[in-house]
Amino acid sequence: MDKEKIDSNIKSTRRDFLKVTGGTIAAAGIAANGFLLRGSEAWAEEKPETWNEEVDVLIVGSGFAGLAAAAEAAGRGSKTLILDKMPTYGGNSIINGGEYASWDDEFSLRKKLNLGDDTSKLHMTDTIKGGDFYNIPALVQVMVDGAPSALNWMIDEGGLKIRELVNRAGGHSAYRTRTCTDGIGRGYTEALRKIAESKGTEIRLGTKVTRIWRQGLEGPVLGLAVENRKGRQNIRIRKALVLASGGFGYDVKMRQDFNPIVTPDINCTNHKGATGEMIRYAQAIGADTLHLAFVQLYPFAEPETGILDTPAVYPFRGPGFGMVYVDRNGKRYVSELERRDVCARAATATGSKPTFSVFSEKMIPLMGTKEEVKKGIAKGRFMTAMTIADLAKEMDVPGSHLKDTISRHNQYLADKKDPEFNKPVTAMMVPMTEGPFYAVAQWPAVHHTMGGLRINESAQVIDIWGKPIPHLYAAGEITGGVHGSNRLGSNATPDCIVFGRIAGTNAAKEKA
Amino acid sequence: MNRIPVVLCAAMLLIPACTGNPLIRKVPPGPEAEVAACMDCHSNVDELFSKEHPAVSGDDIRTCFSCHQPMDPKKAEPNTFSATLHRAHLNKESGVDCLSCHSWIPGRHFGISGTGVDLGPLPENNMPLLKKTFLSWAGSRYLDARHAKQNVTCSGCHGDSLPAPGDTIKNERCLMCHGSYDALAEKTVPEIFPDRNPHQSHLGVIDCTVCHVAHGESRAYCLECHQKFVMKTPG
Repeated sequence: MDKEKIDSNIKSTRRDFLKVTGGTIAAAGIAANGFLLRGSEAWAEEKPETWNEEVDVLIVGSGFAGLAAAAEAAGRGSKTLILDKMPTYGGNSIINGGEYASWDDEFSLRKKLNLGDDTSKLHMTDTIKGGDFYNIPALVQVMVDGAPSALNWMIDEGGLKIRELVNRAGGHSAYRTRTCTDGIGRGYTEALRKIAESKGTEIRLGTKVTRIWRQGLEGPVLGLAVENRKGRQNIRIRKALVLASGGFGYDVKMRQDFNPIVTPDINCTNHKGATGEMIRYAQAIGADTLHLAFVQLYPFAEPETGILDTPAVYPFRGPGFGMVYVDRNGKRYVSELERRDVCARAATATGSKPTFSVFSEKMIPLMGTKEEVKKGIAKGRFMTAMTIADLAKEMDVPGSHLKDTISRHNQYLADKKDPEFNKPVTAMMVPMTEGPFYAVAQWPAVHHTMGGLRINESAQVIDIWGKPIPHLYAAGEITGGVHGSNRLGSNATPDCIVFGRIAGTNAAKEKA
Repeated sequence: MNRIPVVLCAAMLLIPACTGNPLIRKVPPGPEAEVAACMDCHSNVDELFSKEHPAVSGDDIRTCFSCHQPMDPKKAEPNTFSATLHRAHLNKESGVDCLSCHSWIPGRHFGISGTGVDLGPLPENNMPLLKKTFLSWAGSRYLDARHAKQNVTCSGCHGDSLPAPGDTIKNERCLMCHGSYDALAEKTVPEIFPDRNPHQSHLGVIDCTVCHVAHGESRAYCLECHQKFVMKTPG
């Protein structure tokens, strides 16, 4: 056999192999080994047989980021289609705690309520400190700068309503967490959906992506292969693809692959669709990822099932107003203003499930609503009693311990000093001297995956060689780098919405 | 009636052309071909009717249509005539062929033989599913059988086009009979935990079909996250 013939045989074998393996993941494995550099023509050959549909901007995921992207893209005249594999819209966003970190808002609520100062810079510093300096500062800057205007945009254009209170949550050094009136993420998703749909966005549910089409490993993204009840089809993009499909908290294998200590027995606050396959499909076309090992546990989920119901948001809202966390022995185990990772670890270290948040009547209007607490009591989630001793009975913790813990904590507030856990005591913290008193049981559950696709400040997805992938954007929990090793509570919502808006705006600007 | 043997012969000749389901024959007739004749099977047509039914003069389906007008597909309402006819002919025992009454040119036409009624194009591949689904409608433990009991046929939900695989029903269609979403919510307030109402949940208005499945197992979507809820979706 002459040389030419041998070469051609090898070539065709490689081609056949690529054809056979076909699937994106297999091909990506080859790409990672460098083999595809020579075989890239085989990649270029891989195109769908037919395009069944064409849109300007195609978005995967109908949560905060996807809806914000759609609102901006459709608002700029782009024919915009959102796909979601789930039968209902909103993903994790619609069930989130309804919290939004922003150093300001159009009502100047913080100032109005006399809750101290805050700045964009302070929000950024807290976020980076909370993420152990793993955060990419340029991305954090974008989030904190855009947070107030994105909040105001939802209020002005989407009819969002926020409560007249501002919370200080773990890891934040200022009172900056806004809560929507609904007290659940739906407040924001509905506002965003309203804007997006009024501009002509179509939301197509029950449609899952099966691969991303890209022209070779250097060319532009072309579209998606998708599957739903009606069968398989290929959707071509004229302008851009935006990935906004969330994290992988519900994917037990994926989260443990990257972080072995996140074992399958740990509960999860996420919806079932948070399985991260879009990250793998993006990797298969060359997208870079970072920080995939950083998996956040929400320290205050419902202990038995791990869901984050309304009562489970109270432990997060309360620390700025003097809420106390105790273990089953009735003793404090952490500074209540600590970050989520610290609180979760401290809870686990008590060695006895569950732990509790304890608060009093006076704190309720400062951090939440009486109506929510009433409902929580009816469901058996909140416990209540007129005295600490009686509350201890409800909680099944030693009454003498709990009484001692609360009276000592009251003294710390009076002294403006917490010698036990060094909590930064503020004047807004209320001593628990008057009943009724309340408690809610809590335990850590997987909540957020900080890692994901690498993006730049324009929300473009960066490939493994450091270049933006043409016509591909990403925003929200699918991306990595904004939150570093540990996301501060209530930073996810501004992250998703600010970067979603940027992705949608830039997607609409792409040349068809 | 001298044309009965002709029809039978024609049918016998055509049986070998079956694909898959022996109950489904490929027959060439268009809308104006052989009329679906009740007398082909029923020697005494009069026996078929209740006492209340007015006297019937003819012996084929055109007679029925002189009184029973085709349903307006824009209206989602029961169709007692269609439901009764289908229920009578659709069970595993009698297993009457669709094409005893219906005319079919795969991919082009599906109608009622000899009447000019055209129900739309029915692709060859969709016929087995249509048959299966209709059998389910006639006697399953699912929601379709509940609709059958109320004489709601295909078009009651699917409107003016023949159902195709993967079709789903929009809320507006369901609500044409079942009242407003709010009205439904009022009917499903749980006794113990009134705010665990599937029609008034934190997800807002969702597709009815998320939980209510006509031709298969329904589910309570709430339970996929709220494992401790006690909730059951009928049908």
